[in-house]
Amino acid sequence: MHSSTLRTAPIHLTRTLQHPSFTTARSLRPCIVAKWLQSRRLTTASPRTQEVIPLRKHLKDEAKRKKAEVKRDGNVLSTKQTSDSRLDKWELTVGIEIHAELNTACKLFSSAPAEVSVGDDGGSANSRVAAFDAALPGTQPQFQIATLLPALRAAIALECEVQRKSGWDRKHYFHWDQPNGYQITQYYRPFAKDGSLTLGAFDGVPAEDLNGAESITIGIKQIQMEQDTAKTMNVGSSTYHVDLNRAGMPLIEVITLPHIHSPQTAAAVVRKIQAVLKGVDACVTGMELGGLRADVNVSVRQRGTSGTGSSYSGVSGLGQRTEIKNLSSFKAVEDAIVAERDRQISVLEAGGVIEGETRGWTLGATETTRLRGKEGEVDYRYMPDADLPPLVIGSDLVKHLKTTMPMLPDAVEQDLEEWHGLSRKDAKTLNEQDNGDRVEFFERTASFLLAEVGTFKSEVSTGKERRKTGKLVGNWVLHELGGLLATHQRSWDDVRVTADELKDILVCLHKNQITARAAKQILAELVQRQPAPKGPYWPSMDTRPSVEQLIDAGNLRLRPLSEHEYEKLAKQIMDASPEMVKAVREKGQKGKVMWFVGQMVRQGEEGTVEPEKAKVVIERLMDG
Amino acid sequence: MSSESNGPLFGKLIAIKDNISTGPSTPSLATTAASNTLRKHASPFAATVVRLLTENGALIAGKTNCDEFGMGSHSLNSAYGPVKNAYVRGGHALSAGGSSGGSAVAVATRQCWAALGTDTGGSVRLPAAYCGIVGFKPSYGLLSRWGVLDYANSMDTVGILSRDVPDARTLFRILNRFDEEDPTSLPPSVRARLSSADAGEKPDESARNARALRIGVPTDYCLEELSSPVHRAWIRTLNRLQDQGHQLVPVNLPSTKQALSAYYVLAPAEASSNLAKYDGVRYGSRLQDPPSHQEAEADKSGKSVLFSRYRGEGFGDEVKRRILLGAFALSAAAMDNYFIQAQKIRRLVQDDFDRVFASPNPLHTASSSSSSPKPSSAQKPAHEASPPQSTRSKVDLLITPTAPTLPPTIDDVRQQDPLATYTNDAFTVPASLAGLPSISVPVQTAGRPRSGAAADGDGGWGDVGCAGVQVIGQFGDDDIVLRMGEIVEGLR
Repeated sequence: MHSSTLRTAPIHLTRTLQHPSFTTARSLRPCIVAKWLQSRRLTTASPRTQEVIPLRKHLKDEAKRKKAEVKRDGNVLSTKQTSDSRLDKWELTVGIEIHAELNTACKLFSSAPAEVSVGDDGGSANSRVAAFDAALPGTQPQFQIATLLPALRAAIALECEVQRKSGWDRKHYFHWDQPNGYQITQYYRPFAKDGSLTLGAFDGVPAEDLNGAESITIGIKQIQMEQDTAKTMNVGSSTYHVDLNRAGMPLIEVITLPHIHSPQTAAAVVRKIQAVLKGVDACVTGMELGGLRADVNVSVRQRGTSGTGSSYSGVSGLGQRTEIKNLSSFKAVEDAIVAERDRQISVLEAGGVIEGETRGWTLGATETTRLRGKEGEVDYRYMPDADLPPLVIGSDLVKHLKTTMPMLPDAVEQDLEEWHGLSRKDAKTLNEQDNGDRVEFFERTASFLLAEVGTFKSEVSTGKERRKTGKLVGNWVLHELGGLLATHQRSWDDVRVTADELKDILVCLHKNQITARAAKQILAELVQRQPAPKGPYWPSMDTRPSVEQLIDAGNLRLRPLSEHEYEKLAKQIMDASPEMVKAVREKGQKGKVMWFVGQMVRQGEEGTVEPEKAKVVIERLMDG
Repeated sequence: MSSESNGPLFGKLIAIKDNISTGPSTPSLATTAASNTLRKHASPFAATVVRLLTENGALIAGKTNCDEFGMGSHSLNSAYGPVKNAYVRGGHALSAGGSSGGSAVAVATRQCWAALGTDTGGSVRLPAAYCGIVGFKPSYGLLSRWGVLDYANSMDTVGILSRDVPDARTLFRILNRFDEEDPTSLPPSVRARLSSADAGEKPDESARNARALRIGVPTDYCLEELSSPVHRAWIRTLNRLQDQGHQLVPVNLPSTKQALSAYYVLAPAEASSNLAKYDGVRYGSRLQDPPSHQEAEADKSGKSVLFSRYRGEGFGDEVKRRILLGAFALSAAAMDNYFIQAQKIRRLVQDDFDRVFASPNPLHTASSSSSSPKPSSAQKPAHEASPPQSTRSKVDLLITPTAPTLPPTIDDVRQQDPLATYTNDAFTVPASLAGLPSISVPVQTAGRPRSGAAADGDGGWGDVGCAGVQVIGQFGDDDIVLRMGEIVEGLR
């Protein structure tokens, strides 16, 4: 018992910070249960971390594959045309349910830690399991109030009405990933209702859906809290390993109204909900890491009709819907809806009837597959959980959270656009990358730069200067630095360049002390150097040169040539290439001027030729 | 624990019903709830009530047989075989009552000083009545359920079986503690409002202790099933109490008739949910033959051959019957007609009690936290319209029979229709639905001296000779219930 006491000490510490009421006896329980499970030979080797494919790479690969397919089949145009013409007749309606893992320190109904803590071997299977998570006989759930905070932030961000009183219900089904034989969820009384999500063209909503408007609003029916399931792994022909670390983790389920009418908008809704949840720190892992899963409800109806008269969530006049479960990427959401829409239209046009059924989708497939029909639907036998008192949320807590909410992604992007002068596209790209770290880097660099080069003559001129420097910094953070990271295949976590260093580079560039070419060279150098050691006792100069030092060492400082020197260099080059001079002078090929500018920059000493000035000189000599 | 050697329970043997976890301490005792699904299951932790006993010096005598998961009224539905009452009639063993029959017999035969049982619909009070001992079910939420295996968790209550009322009170005072492990354990804030919390601080409480009590006699409990020896014992008890100066007040509890039906919808519904965890994966004996690949695949596709085979082999008939009843009551098609209706009746039963008791229900005076839906006025049955009980006719306690009959022989029970055995619980179920404290105390049946453990020598236990009389109090009035139990006990 002693070794396990030591082992859980870090958990205990972190938990104590969250919960003053936490007792020692409780923190031991995960160990007891882990031992217990071991005695049942339920422990598995630590599961291999799932290979994570970055979204961009995934999209690229998909595009390549599609292209190859098109090449092979050769008739993509005709397919597109037929499906387009069918869409004039048929209207798609989609509602989405999104499950997202909350960013919490513990599970929903037990004190078991939600994440592996430092120094703990909690990464191994069945190590983060309290007695209740393993459904040991005689255990009861204990609602962990801290899990409510990220859930409330999500509800507020999605503009829901937080319910004063909500309740917990049991949803029953047998599966080995469900130790209690039921999931505790909020079926009858969810904690948040009647929210909405607004999306525009920049979120990926196609013009047809916008229909001239600037944005569309999708209703959020409700948000409920619920438990996650265990992980199961098939090893060998009839052996399954069960890892209960995930069992009982807190999830929220966000249910939209069937207000969505295109696959692209559906994917945009999922992407935006993920961005909002991350933005307000309600969730940490995104869709591609398995922290987010979506189920979509799809139906079609002939335009202008009321379908089969079906209604869902108060929206009536729809066609019979089917549900596609467990989609775990934006791409899958979009493709699955396209496939299911086309399938339903084909069935209906052939005179068939759509069955209310549950269907599945695998990435790269062209069709959804039937999982179970209505007769196979599980009756979940929902019942209120008598062990758990109703969840009562005071309006003062909601008010407090509202005033301390982080900025929503839309607000951040608007700020980047209007205050810092970025394009909306750049603002969005900047904001969506690296969990907001890159925006923070941008903002620091931009404010440092403005502080050094700004003249602050008037409010108007300051605004102008700010937008100008903002644009410059945005360009360097997104494209130059982004490009360098891509070249070296490194992530933002390993960017190494500090905001201060980038500021120094841009100050020199702004003051015309170095050329853009030299600036890029310095940045590339710094990206490759080891980062400065942290701590006051390690003067960073020893290991990492300053921007000034790099400029001096590379002899990169701009030493402007005199007018005479410019002319001398220009004449030299013109004399060496008479036919090019002829092309400009006699044939009027003005574009060739830039060739001369290039030659001047190249042949001049490093850091001496400014392209703008060189161009003026060449043009003058050509005319002369 | 340093208190062990001089704890109030020092050296006392206490038996524990097999659905209460005894934990890994020595001796390591299995906790199987008398079910094959949990054969040899030893819980890795002890129930809070067991921990409190040992901390106060008690010795755990062992685990006692019971109805599987507490489902039964005669302790015959056990994987270990039936419990036999020490009393016999005409050479035939009598039913010990259920489901805590083993605990009751252990106390009646003096194999232990006292025992813990669980009471969901009468499972402590009924075996106490059949075995001639005291059985006390405290208010729901006073004794911790942590480590107690669920049957119907909104009614499951740890109960005490003892030879007399003072012993029951001693145990109750030790076990009556808030436990943060149990989400249904009443928090200190609510406990402070209960009259049993600290009589000294409530002046009206000591006044109530001094004066004569007003005893409600529910006329609705004169069911046709009530046998005459029990009926006579009840009436004689009431008469003697009146002789002592207590006041008898006839009261109406009109929902009593529906209470039993509501109980047998709600308890199985909760059981079907609570017992879903017994799938053979994490505990309990695995199947003899490991599942084939086909079975595993079929499980994956939702056909659940592995689980159903395990559950089919592991559960006894009565447990299966109640799981099926409960699963049906919760199914989408039946939910409104069964589960919801039964919850409404449960609320009516609670209202009935609140109407007749002089003290207000401390749970309802605060913001109501009951999960059962309140019936809308349109759906209220006609009798709801009857005028409210006037203050004059309000009572401190109710006294009823515990069971409608004396214990039947085991042979008789075996010939009964399973549904017929449910009627045994008719008098105990209403207090369970409302979570009220109640105690069963043995009183002599007319003309027969009460025989007992001191009776004539080797196996010379005759018929039981006494019937159980039940005292029911308002929620939280556990001390008054115990006091009246003691008064009734002293009548003999």
